[in-house]
Amino acid sequence: MSAIEFQGVWKRYDDRAAVAGLSFRIEEGERVVVHGPSGCGKTTVLRLIAGFLAPDVGRVLVGGKPVAADGRILVSPEHRHLGMVFQDLALWPHLTVAQNLDFALKAQRLASEIRRQRIADMLARVQLNGLADVYPARLSGGQQQRVAIARALVAQPLAVLMDEPLSNLDDELRDELCGQILDLHAQLGFTLVYVTHSKEEMRRIGSRVIRLRDGKEEIP
Amino acid sequence: MGRLLISRQITLWTAVAVLIIAGVLPLCLVLATSLADVGNYTSTLGNARIWRIFRTSLVLTVLTTVLAGFAGIPLGLLFARTDLPMRRVLTFALSMPLLFPPYILAVGWYEVLGRGGLLAQWAGSPVGEVTSRWLFGLPGAVLVLTTAFLPVVLLLTMTYVNAVNPTLEQAARLFSGWPAVIRSITIPLAAPGVLLSLVLVFLLTMGEFGAPAFLRVTVFPVATFTELTAFYNFGAATAAALPLVAVALLGLTMEQRVLRGKSFQFGWDGGREPSLLPLGRIRTPLCLLVTLAVLLVVALPLGALVFRGLSLAALGEAWDRAGGSAARSLGYSAVSATALAGLGFFLAYVIHRRAVVCWRWVDAAMLFLFTLPGTVIGIGLIALWNRRSTNWIYATPAILVIGYVAQYAVIGTRIILAGFAQTSSAVEEAAEVAGAGWFRRVFGILVPILGPSITMSWVVTFLFCLRDVSLPLLLAPPGYDTLTARTMTLMANGSAELIAALCLLSMSLTAVPLIVYGAARRMGSKAT
Repeated sequence: MSAIEFQGVWKRYDDRAAVAGLSFRIEEGERVVVHGPSGCGKTTVLRLIAGFLAPDVGRVLVGGKPVAADGRILVSPEHRHLGMVFQDLALWPHLTVAQNLDFALKAQRLASEIRRQRIADMLARVQLNGLADVYPARLSGGQQQRVAIARALVAQPLAVLMDEPLSNLDDELRDELCGQILDLHAQLGFTLVYVTHSKEEMRRIGSRVIRLRDGKEEIP
Repeated sequence: MGRLLISRQITLWTAVAVLIIAGVLPLCLVLATSLADVGNYTSTLGNARIWRIFRTSLVLTVLTTVLAGFAGIPLGLLFARTDLPMRRVLTFALSMPLLFPPYILAVGWYEVLGRGGLLAQWAGSPVGEVTSRWLFGLPGAVLVLTTAFLPVVLLLTMTYVNAVNPTLEQAARLFSGWPAVIRSITIPLAAPGVLLSLVLVFLLTMGEFGAPAFLRVTVFPVATFTELTAFYNFGAATAAALPLVAVALLGLTMEQRVLRGKSFQFGWDGGREPSLLPLGRIRTPLCLLVTLAVLLVVALPLGALVFRGLSLAALGEAWDRAGGSAARSLGYSAVSATALAGLGFFLAYVIHRRAVVCWRWVDAAMLFLFTLPGTVIGIGLIALWNRRSTNWIYATPAILVIGYVAQYAVIGTRIILAGFAQTSSAVEEAAEVAGAGWFRRVFGILVPILGPSITMSWVVTFLFCLRDVSLPLLLAPPGYDTLTARTMTLMANGSAELIAALCLLSMSLTAVPLIVYGAARRMGSKAT
């Protein structure tokens, strides 16, 4: 069973096709990088998978089930069981690090003790022990990045979507976090869809690459 | 370089001095004068009647704030974050009362619920007797002021909800449905703005004069006004105003605590449209319900006014008796709005660039003056300017313009400040590097860039000046009154048709700045 599948997906903004008849399959546990120049439709692909957009034509499947088809959202974002790291991280500024992670777990209606355990475990994995009660604004850029990754992973999602998560970091930190993402993938085995325009990140993260140009897959 | 710096500092300090002379100095003077005779305070504040009035004011204010929040916050969320049909039309309709002085709504409700009102005509005079008693009392004042100030909560809730970075909501949508996202993310992030709106409604209600005076509810501003105009007891009026000053200070403190440093969530680039909560099957019934509410609380009283006042005879009489006042209202408001836009530009510069050491005090002083009831500012200005040596100001409409500048400086400044916040300071620095002096930078670069904000500031302050009641009642010299002051005076003995026609005249004047703004926008878009 594929983790994520696009079947002839089209998405238009006004007169421009951001995604033009795109089809692909991503298997469970794969690390797929969606790569291409600015405006090629990379982020639209992620937003279609997440459920923030519906395809005008075609079908999107998550976990083998159709979640959106022909202009309609069939399964809303919260029921797709996905995690996402946004380009601007989107950490909730009024919640502490632990509360940011807990929001993701509360929807699963787990007992508070289990939630606390999972949060502590995830913070340890991303080397943020001791920062559970700190607000995001107090953290460094790299620490904020780790909180965003931890929040995406803590609910043990079917797949994790990352939208150019390292684009605002310096080379050294980017290199370190690339390594950390690969470590976490090795430990947890999640499906990863990673959007970037950086060839360096593409080479390091991707076990497979989908190259996009003008909303279509570019065949090398 | 030194000369350029000096001309900049002189201009900015002049702007600060204008604010001090217009608003801060009169208040300090009145406070110092009244403190000279402590008897004023002991006799006024020891008077049980004063505290009864204060209790009435407080009950009216709390009930109005609670009801405006109870209706305005859900409506703001509904209009800002759902796919409710006709959101723009409904927002505009519900915001209309903010354009007029609240006494117009009171007159409108009188035409519906009064003894000779629509309801009495339809259901019989015994019903009219009951509803009239209800209207001319605390419940009626709460109804009128809630309708009048609900737009403050509605618009600020919408503004702050729309300012929440939509990515924060989308991040939450991956884990939870819309209700939990709105409860846990949207509302907490917009809460400072919502709280600010409630503080504003509280202060506006506390300082409101016209509607309670018409509905014969004795609240603090009415009592202060009476002390001054009926008994000319200056010391007692000042002492009676003291609780209002205390409440305004409380409001200012709350605003500073609530909003300071809480703008973290509003730093998004606005490049992505927020997602809207689909209402599904309840979309149409909810739209019908909101439309019905709009018809009931806005269209009904205003429609009743039109029904009563829209006759050639009534409009003719209104024009005869108040045409001059209407023209003066437009003139004073235009002059004041121009002064406020100019002053607002330089004060916004002071605050945005932290260009003078006391910039924080300047900001706080403006807000404090806005939160004070007009009667208090009026008393202060009378104390400062009612002297033989300054009669050349006090005996002319200039005193009213000064009053408007003191009361509404914060509005003009904050609108332009929002424009400054969206403009990179590099545009001025580039002109500076190119050798442009201070005035060339201001008038050649900043003013054209901030044109839309300055125009908006002019329009909004114009509307506030136009709808003001208490300042013209206290400050306009004989023969120089405004339409609002003339209407309040004629209410004592004018016919219902005349009063309704005067209200219609007042409402039609508000169209003027909107037409000016529309024309300015059209010219601006043609030019670009």
